[in-house]
Amino acid sequence: MGRSYIVEDAVEGCLSKLCEQKAGSVTGLLLGQSSPQRDFVVMATRTPPREETPAGNPVDKEWVSEHARQVSRMLPGGLSVLGVFIITDTEAKDTLTTLRQLVFAMESLVSSEQLWSPAEDDVSDCVALHINRKTRKTFCRTFDVKDPKSTAKPADWRYQAGVCSSWSMVSCCLHVDMLVPLPDNKTDPENMDKCLKEELRGWAQRLESGVCLMDGRKLAEDAELPGGQKRNVRQTYTAQILVTPSEQRLADVEQRCGGSVSIRGAVHSRAYLHSNKPKARLAQKLLKRDAVSTVTTRVQMLLEKLLTSEDENKSSSKQKRELFCLPHRVFYPLKASGPLCVCDYQFSDESVSEVTEWLKEMLDIDAAEEDLDSSQEAPGEITERDVGAEPTVETVVALEPKRNSFIGVAMATAVALLATAASMLYLNDV
Amino acid sequence: MVVTDSSDSGTILRVRGPLEFKCQLDSTDALLMQKVISRTFATLHSQVKSESCVLTVCDSSLIIWPNKGVYVTPEEITPNTLCEDIHQWIQTYEQESAGKRSSKKKNKKSSAASVINLRLMMDVTKTGPLSAPILRRTLQKSHFLSTTLPMDCVVRTTCSDTIKDAFERLLEALTHQLCEMEKVTLQHMKGATLLVPEPLHFLLPEPKGLVTVVYPAGVPDSQLETHRKKLHQQFELPDDWPYFRRANAFHFSNEPYKDGYLRNPHMVLTHPTLDNGKVYLVQGIYSYHHYMQDHMDDNGWGCAYRSLQTICSWFTQQGYVERAVPTHREIQQTLVDVGDKQGSFVGSRQWIGSIEVQVVLNQLLEVTSKIMFVSQGSELASKGRELANHFLTEGTPIMIGGGVLAHTILGVAWSETTGQIRYLILDPHYTGAEDLQVITDKGWCGWKGPDFWDQTAYYNLCLPQRPKVI
Repeated sequence: MGRSYIVEDAVEGCLSKLCEQKAGSVTGLLLGQSSPQRDFVVMATRTPPREETPAGNPVDKEWVSEHARQVSRMLPGGLSVLGVFIITDTEAKDTLTTLRQLVFAMESLVSSEQLWSPAEDDVSDCVALHINRKTRKTFCRTFDVKDPKSTAKPADWRYQAGVCSSWSMVSCCLHVDMLVPLPDNKTDPENMDKCLKEELRGWAQRLESGVCLMDGRKLAEDAELPGGQKRNVRQTYTAQILVTPSEQRLADVEQRCGGSVSIRGAVHSRAYLHSNKPKARLAQKLLKRDAVSTVTTRVQMLLEKLLTSEDENKSSSKQKRELFCLPHRVFYPLKASGPLCVCDYQFSDESVSEVTEWLKEMLDIDAAEEDLDSSQEAPGEITERDVGAEPTVETVVALEPKRNSFIGVAMATAVALLATAASMLYLNDV
Repeated sequence: MVVTDSSDSGTILRVRGPLEFKCQLDSTDALLMQKVISRTFATLHSQVKSESCVLTVCDSSLIIWPNKGVYVTPEEITPNTLCEDIHQWIQTYEQESAGKRSSKKKNKKSSAASVINLRLMMDVTKTGPLSAPILRRTLQKSHFLSTTLPMDCVVRTTCSDTIKDAFERLLEALTHQLCEMEKVTLQHMKGATLLVPEPLHFLLPEPKGLVTVVYPAGVPDSQLETHRKKLHQQFELPDDWPYFRRANAFHFSNEPYKDGYLRNPHMVLTHPTLDNGKVYLVQGIYSYHHYMQDHMDDNGWGCAYRSLQTICSWFTQQGYVERAVPTHREIQQTLVDVGDKQGSFVGSRQWIGSIEVQVVLNQLLEVTSKIMFVSQGSELASKGRELANHFLTEGTPIMIGGGVLAHTILGVAWSETTGQIRYLILDPHYTGAEDLQVITDKGWCGWKGPDFWDQTAYYNLCLPQRPKVI
């Protein structure tokens, strides 16, 4: 049996609008929730056009993957990039190879940013949808991205009204407190990234094995969230997470270091579950993963910013102590009627308009500034008193704004950074 | 040890859980390092005293926030619920096969207090909204210390204690343990090298009961004698008997021994009642060694070896020696090494007797033994006073051999007025599995009368003398 995708009606409208555009192929991402039983597609978003498209290659694998990576960062727990769509004038079978390449390239990039450990019930099928511009015929297939030899499997693609409306939400405000040593003579952003990733992996494991309470109660793993069956009721749950540090071996108590990095503050974490009898276990898994990814994304964003600014200004890393605010999370409701939101991260030196512009670029959303919900997290405030033994100079570093207002440049920077990120990943995997 | 009939039950609450200890030592100046370490401990103190501190009952949905007015979930339980009632909320699993057939007798007799295990956790969620995180980068060559403190506290509750009473005490125990850990850490700091403080529980004679001591991990017992001396003074304990060696650490009833040997099987027996009689028993813990264990078929010749192993296990578990219980081969090799036997003895199936046991104890454990010679088994009935005295002052298991089979004597019941006597025998000739039920029902460990001995055969008894150390 193939997978079965239940698709929000509005996605059909969105796709047919894209079909009406000029000739040439259009690619984009399909967003929603996967579960072992069924998948829900809530949104389709086209990949923004690249300024200089490589000649002779109508579908830019790298570009679409980068889009998927950026969009993945903007999805709260429970929502993910499920796959890709492509609109062409050709027959569906002619696009199979392209779709296959796209899906695998995208998956390998997106999963490289995921620091949590995979679970048994994770869905490894990625959707690949082809639409013939002229006939409007839709072909839906899936690829198992965990199996490099997998071939296309037919899947069911069905539009339905109100897919976006009946979702439960689990959320919590999580306190983060990390302290990581930096190796001697290796305190640059690349090494910070390596050390922080390792710490975040450990933190992700501690969260995973932590106890999760829903509205103050510890539920059995197989239990359903209370009251979850009612349709069209916006169920919200507040979670608590109890953790315990992992026992360390005694051997590595002391080490020489060239400095340290600490991350302290709170993040708002949330996950959405399609209200079809959601299980406590799923809610926990998605919420914990969101916690890991929201922290990882921010650290990544800050390091990307640091990399560019330290390249420009080598001397800035000579300061003994520096403080940086990680960006805070801002939510934007997908639809006024439904509970689903997407999110973005705003650095304190960025204006709200930069967030709305980014939403437009990445998700093609015309967001009104007043609809942005920035009430879940306050921007980081540097008020910490330095309790160090000796007086030291603390520098609060203002970095250049991350995003440029016109399309393409920001993405180009990101693609350039990608090469570095990928090579660091190799090192980590060894 | 004179057995007093104390039916001392009650519930022990035991909380365990690591606390992360991380700090950066910018300077190698001893005073500044101490300051940083004390500051890190202070942070942990405030964590344990904060509302985020949570204690979860293992295998249960029960969770307690001791610093939120001892808030408890689920709602069916309140701070005023009796501690004992927690048991009803714990899922119990089927006992392992060894214990499955354990009789009612065992349950009735085991006076060990029940243990409720708790986990120390931190609630990392807060009521939002709060400020987004700040990243701080410090560049300075220094030493980074990173470890986890293995917190492990116990409190003993009585049947009238409520959850509130008990958990307030548990929290006190936690903060006290952090203080102790800080002391030990600072005391054993060498340069920037830190020894992880390690809490251990010891069961002292009543009314003192369970006591927790923090030792620096990795420092051998031999280097901690001054520490132990202070403890003996503090708890007014005799200074010729080890109470605080690591091997003396209390073994909780819900933690099975991993080596598979049964401990003190005689504990489930009912002692004989003699007119004006008293019971004198082996003191401390031994393991039961008998035929066919360790994949070693010694049926028919190994009984004295097994009895010797039981004695060795006593010395190991009382902390006198750190060596493992010797194998048959090691025992034989030792006898060859001291010139007692020819080289061909190693690997043979030859018997050994009480004198060989004495030699091996002396050679491997540096333990001296007295030999008691009895020319006729019938004479053993008159050795009550000597045997009673041995168990009172030495408390070690006795090996008895001679013209016939070897056995281990674990105690005597003896009446000073009538001279009546019973012997508590541990029989090494048992060939079955480690089934306490069979062993005690069939008399492999049991009380025997004077007719147990071959009235005409001669006997040699090896009475190991314990070293007078702490």
